[in-house]
Amino acid sequence: MATAAQEPKAPLKRSRRETRNDGGSALSTYGLLAPMLIVLGLFFLAPLYYILLFSIALRRFSPTEALAALNGELNGFTTELWSKLVGVDVIVKLPGIDLTVPTMVVALIFIVLLLLAVSGGRISKDRGGWIVGIAFLLLLAPFLTLPAGNNLLRIMSLSSEGDSLRLFFKSVSMAMTSSVIAVIIAIPVAYFLAFCVGKSKYTWMLIVIAPFLTSYLLRVFAWKVILGDQGLINSGLMAVGLVDEAAPLTFLIYSQFTVIVVLTYAWVPFICLPIFLSFETIDRRLLEAAMDLGATRWQAFRKISLPIIAPGIVAAFLFVFIPSIGEYITPTLVGGTQGTMYGQSLASQFVGGAFNWQYGSVMALFLLGVVLLLTFATSRFLRSGAGGNL
Amino acid sequence: MARRRNTETFVVISPTGKVLLTAFFALFLVVLYLPTVLLIVFSFNAGTVAAFPLEGLTTKWYGLALHSESIRQALWASVRVATLSAAIATLIALMASYPLARRHVRGKAVISALMLVPLVVPTVVLGVALLILFQKGVIPIGLGLISVMIGHVVIALPFAVLILLPRIASIDKRLEEAAYDLGASGLQMFRRVMLPLIVPSILSAFLISFVFSIDEVVIASFIAGDQPTYPVYLYSGLKFPEKTQTLIPVATIMIVLSFLLAIAAEVIRRRGDRKLEGR
Repeated sequence: MATAAQEPKAPLKRSRRETRNDGGSALSTYGLLAPMLIVLGLFFLAPLYYILLFSIALRRFSPTEALAALNGELNGFTTELWSKLVGVDVIVKLPGIDLTVPTMVVALIFIVLLLLAVSGGRISKDRGGWIVGIAFLLLLAPFLTLPAGNNLLRIMSLSSEGDSLRLFFKSVSMAMTSSVIAVIIAIPVAYFLAFCVGKSKYTWMLIVIAPFLTSYLLRVFAWKVILGDQGLINSGLMAVGLVDEAAPLTFLIYSQFTVIVVLTYAWVPFICLPIFLSFETIDRRLLEAAMDLGATRWQAFRKISLPIIAPGIVAAFLFVFIPSIGEYITPTLVGGTQGTMYGQSLASQFVGGAFNWQYGSVMALFLLGVVLLLTFATSRFLRSGAGGNL
Repeated sequence: MARRRNTETFVVISPTGKVLLTAFFALFLVVLYLPTVLLIVFSFNAGTVAAFPLEGLTTKWYGLALHSESIRQALWASVRVATLSAAIATLIALMASYPLARRHVRGKAVISALMLVPLVVPTVVLGVALLILFQKGVIPIGLGLISVMIGHVVIALPFAVLILLPRIASIDKRLEEAAYDLGASGLQMFRRVMLPLIVPSILSAFLISFVFSIDEVVIASFIAGDQPTYPVYLYSGLKFPEKTQTLIPVATIMIVLSFLLAIAAEVIRRRGDRKLEGR
């Protein structure tokens, strides 16, 4: 009796019943999945496995060896190159505190914070959000400055040998800046489309998104025409006499500023969509009720709309932030020497001047690790932003 | 009806606010489309450098571009890569979506995660990883268009699955059951029942993958070797200002084309939605 009662719950039996209903066998099920798994295994997991091997290989390849075929040369492993990247010291300078800690310690705190945030039911959702927020601030820390007396004090800096890592944090802060600006621009646009244009809003949304689907390279290039020394802005200002012809505003092009402007521009259309969708979920009657009860429009927005759209906004922010960290095309085209980013330095280890595949592999895996960790820790927000499709 | 909509709007925004917001939106659209418009303007610029002031209008760059052998080769390479990679990605995604949507699959969570991860992996990382894979002969394909196509399939797969899987999942299960009860084989069921319902999604998955591939430059720039696709060709040209003027006309044509393709994909997808809701 007891076994009979348990049996219907056994997963094996349920799956058999399901398969029969679908008119297909396990063979056809996995047969259909096989091509995708093979492609992902061969051309996604295998390459990642090989950069891992390269990053810890004992032997140092010369450039020609790096280009030659693989002949079992990786006969030992070392973490030497990894310590070249992350084995630097972080100098924390707060008023009253002057502390030197290894980067690994800071990284560990960062990882623990992010993992805490996703540790299931143990921590409430709100607190999880705060913890992720703190972890993000930690990412920004090497670029945060505090006013101290008449000077600005960088609260965290890297010891001199940490060039790659410094570039990484610079990229993070550039990505953060452009994604925050993009979100700030997208919110009113999405609000306008959700509430003010009536039935044609989906068409307008399509008009907003369309540029995102056109050539990225060309949109970046077009900004050169706008911001360049003889570009739209400079020649416009020269024409009205605000800028001397001999001295165009040079900060407009080939700088961090340019990269941030272009990144923001490139991503804004894309993130209008998730924010728009979260505005769409708001029940208008809630807002009417709030105003009937004497709330001002601002109060209604702050107390009702904002909490509802918050996950959508966080998702939108992440949609820009995460891919921007590894950006490579934009800084190469418009960043000049001042606006370089981590992705460029990483690429130059493979196809450019630096040419060190093994150190490049370390840089690539480090970037991948950070991005995957951030995605994992924030997957809750990403999922809500994608409308539950992921 | 109109009055009700007005009051609704009134609730969420004040008349002044609406004016301000409309102005903001208008400005936003202008900035959004300004780069594209400028490109089109500069494709007719008589000068050799894309800078102000314009030196008169000409169509000579279009002529030059159309007669350039290297541009034609790059374009043709891109079209082949995009068509093949989009077709393969759509086919593989279609095959995988069905069991993921309908069947009991062991390790479904792991498979779904693995399938979606390429979406967040920085393209630079995937590019250099594939470079090692192909250049070091782990998989003896070497660098070239086939490698690029493979790279694009990996990235396009999650997009295609994200389009196809929800659509398949939303089809009434009873339709399939009825087909089987009436003696249809698995393949017959798919061809006669499923396929007609998901054709729009298949088309839109194909188009999205195509649009992605034809514009992808990062992965391609690492593994294209000496067979540049159009974006790679464009990218190397854009780094040298003196070369760019000949590139802009083709660029303009491409922008207009990808714009039309993207809109077509969206229209097809929506029509599919409506068709399905109508049932």
